[in-house]
Amino acid sequence: MPAPALAHGVVGQRFFPATIATDDPFAADELALPTVTWFDHQKDVDFDYSKTIFPGFAIEVGMGHVNATLPGEARQRGLDNLEISPSLELYRDPANEFILTGGLEWEIGGTGSKRVAERSSTYTPTIKFGKGLGDLPDSLEYLRPLAVTGTVGYAIPGGGEESNSIEWGGAIEYSLLYLQNNVRDEGFGNVVSHLTPVVEFSFSSPTDGSGTTGTINPGLFWSGQRVQLGAEAVLPVNRQSGHGVGFIAQLHFYIDDLFPHSLGKPLFGGRR
Amino acid sequence: MISRTALALGIACLATPALGHAFLQHADPGAGANLKSPPARVVLVFTEKLEPVFSGITVSDAAGHNIEAGTAVIGGNSIVAPLLPLRPGRYRVVWHAVSVDTHRTEGAYSFTVER
Repeated sequence: MPAPALAHGVVGQRFFPATIATDDPFAADELALPTVTWFDHQKDVDFDYSKTIFPGFAIEVGMGHVNATLPGEARQRGLDNLEISPSLELYRDPANEFILTGGLEWEIGGTGSKRVAERSSTYTPTIKFGKGLGDLPDSLEYLRPLAVTGTVGYAIPGGGEESNSIEWGGAIEYSLLYLQNNVRDEGFGNVVSHLTPVVEFSFSSPTDGSGTTGTINPGLFWSGQRVQLGAEAVLPVNRQSGHGVGFIAQLHFYIDDLFPHSLGKPLFGGRR
Repeated sequence: MISRTALALGIACLATPALGHAFLQHADPGAGANLKSPPARVVLVFTEKLEPVFSGITVSDAAGHNIEAGTAVIGGNSIVAPLLPLRPGRYRVVWHAVSVDTHRTEGAYSFTVER
């Protein structure tokens, strides 16, 4: 049989669920379809598909539909620009539940509808990481199910008047599966033990000093064997970031588990 | 279009045989258990069938000595490790599992036999 595979979201003893508002640090075969967002007079429906080319390297393709109704303005709707995002896992430390990944997000200007999408491209080199706290001492055992992920990117618009910006965010997760299996068996059933309460945060800080915008998203994930469900509230951090409380939900498929011998394995290099 | 594709994939999820990562579904003794009498074995049950050659378990005492009484039996979706008679103390279970579709998982936990 082929060598064991390291697939979506697993580093050492830690399983990281796929995050919604920010990108997680895994190069994996997965599909988010759909991701639906209601926030600040706008409804977005997006899809993202990630395909491993060789172990540790994947290319993600994403696109979405925007439906915006700003007060006093005509409704604007249409397809957003296509995004292509290659990512390469740079370092894995299973013993310390740590992963570091580099990537590039390329929003291809002009591929979406003129009404809602930018005409120029934006390039965002990005560093992403994940760290589980399973290496904490036994005296802090109830903190060991915690994990954090983070992403920092530098967005460079290829044209227009937009400023460069630092795109940063992450997630704080508490895995009930880790608690149940690695710390203390609390008697959770098969459904509850697969829940992960999460708080995501996603910010944009333009380098021209025009002010940071972003949201904080508390929510809940349920991770099954082949599919994940996630839902989060969307809370703007300031008036510039939007108005009111929004909502985001995602249905996520683990393609490597659904189709392990075909679509779910790397195109080249077999499995790691 | 999007909803149709999601629906088709949802049906695929239900229709395809269970494959994927072998996550630990049940352990006896469980993580963090405080036992009044020593267990004769450790039983781990997983969500998927295992590849016995690539799966395994070690159970050790606080000094790091292995306390298995023999070779663990790995079959189906379970690992069963017979244990030597245990004294009161803290014990560590370390396992790794490779499911039949070759995905690898691993884990560790402790349990205590009380005086």
